[in-house]
Amino acid sequence: AERPWVCKAIMAAQPPSAPGEPAPPPPPPPLQYSLLLQHLVGDKRQPRVWDPAALGGIPCPPKSEEQKMVERVMESCPFKAALACVGGFVLGGAFGIFTAGIDTNVGFDPKDPYRTPTAKEVLKDMGQRGISYAKNFAIVGAMFSCTECVVESYRGKSDWKNSVISGCITGGAIGFRAGLKAGVIGCGGFAAFSAAVDYYLR
Amino acid sequence: MDPLRAQQLAAELEVEMMADMYNRMTQACHRKCVPPHYKESELSKGECVCLDRCVAKYLEVHERMGKKLTVLSMQDEELLKRMQQGTGTA
Repeated sequence: AERPWVCKAIMAAQPPSAPGEPAPPPPPPPLQYSLLLQHLVGDKRQPRVWDPAALGGIPCPPKSEEQKMVERVMESCPFKAALACVGGFVLGGAFGIFTAGIDTNVGFDPKDPYRTPTAKEVLKDMGQRGISYAKNFAIVGAMFSCTECVVESYRGKSDWKNSVISGCITGGAIGFRAGLKAGVIGCGGFAAFSAAVDYYLR
Repeated sequence: MDPLRAQQLAAELEVEMMADMYNRMTQACHRKCVPPHYKESELSKGECVCLDRCVAKYLEVHERMGKKLTVLSMQDEELLKRMQQGTGTA
């Protein structure tokens, strides 16, 4: 037989009755495991609502649907990319205005090198520089944040490798427009920069 | 064994089984997905994603094993019945 232990179970379940003694009580009907299992884990299982507090967890009020939706949006990759984009725009604008303020080449006229630039020229240059830097920073920030979020979702872990990988991708994408070698250098540089920032932040 | 008695017994056992499964699942997924670096109190995105996947896999494994066990126990009972009929008529 395939399952010899089943035969032994049958033989053991019927004890031999000695002659002259009252017949032993009949053994209880064996548990029909298949029927029980069908009710427990099989097709006949009833759908139930399980409360984690009753199962052994720490009781806490369940989250409402709005709270869950808001948390889902705030943790999503597009939202993080948009946040980085806006932050990059503001930071880039401030940086551009600052560098325009300390730049000495504003309003340079070759015919009159010692002329001080007018306020209008300075402000116009500040505005242009600010917008240009802001756009660059916004794009770079959004790209980095988006790739980091995607890499982290894919790996399922949160450690320093996420920022290095996404730094390489972002730097490579930016540098690739100027050729393959620039792409590789951009990848290495940006990855090292984001690794340093990550090391400082953790 | 009549189906009603089986259903009652299953309802009693199910609570215990679910509580045990929940505790084991929490322990296993915590050990796998949440490394013991507690620099911040919030779960990061990677850890959340890992926990979602861990719970989904655990529940699927539980369901498949349950169905497999049901099939195996039904096969065992068929065999038992045939043997009893065999010894009865012999």
